[in-house]
Amino acid sequence: MAGLAIPDLDIDQLTDAETAPPVGWQTVVWNDPVNLMSYVVHVFRTYFGFEPDVAHRLMLAVHHDGHAVVSRGPREVMEAHTQAMHEFGLWATVRQDAP
Amino acid sequence: MNERIVVVEVSGLEALHLAGLVGQFRDLLRETRRADDPAVARLTPDAYPDDDAANREFHRLTSEDMLTRRAEDADTVLRTLGMDGADLDPGSDPDETIAVALGENEAHAWLRTLSAVRLVLATRLGIQTEDDHRPGDPRFGVYDWVGYRLDGLVAALER
Repeated sequence: MAGLAIPDLDIDQLTDAETAPPVGWQTVVWNDPVNLMSYVVHVFRTYFGFEPDVAHRLMLAVHHDGHAVVSRGPREVMEAHTQAMHEFGLWATVRQDAP
Repeated sequence: MNERIVVVEVSGLEALHLAGLVGQFRDLLRETRRADDPAVARLTPDAYPDDDAANREFHRLTSEDMLTRRAEDADTVLRTLGMDGADLDPGSDPDETIAVALGENEAHAWLRTLSAVRLVLATRLGIQTEDDHRPGDPRFGVYDWVGYRLDGLVAALER
């Protein structure tokens, strides 16, 4: 994503998904050089229903940290989210919560 | 409840170029569809980069459907552009503005298609980082133009 100057953010405090107790699996979105920042924010808002500021901060976390956890929960649900991200052209993966 | 409508305005010439690009994209998905094509691979990424078995299963369950839906999105773009199989009227003015009215589902088909066309172009151009840009190469002009249109459509949907 194209660059912007922004302050560092604590992504652990971004969303309910981030602070909810882990249920085993995560959907992770990874940075890529092609997708536009505005588009990524729009996808996060419309698909996950995040508030604009949350969607924006998650997008910046992807951009600056290289990736961000956008959802946590059961494996099947995380796979469905990952497939949806792929349909929007975002690069997403499924992984287990860190022990 | 009324469905929200977004209007995209393009010149006749732009519409023609866009239809050409999206038509090629649809051919890539529907006719060529080579799994070893890096552009097709970029449209169906690995969900489990560290687990071959889970990754294969994910691809087996999702990749075909995903490429089929992308081709249907491309159908929607061409249909709403009024250019699915149709030639531009030779008597029309290429500078004349065409207003394309999109419902929300159609607008999202446009978003997914424009972003996917950019991914395919980026793969063909070998774009690996945000700084990979050759201003003299006209193909980058096309890549930037699709991005400009995508950004404008996102802004219209956010209003």
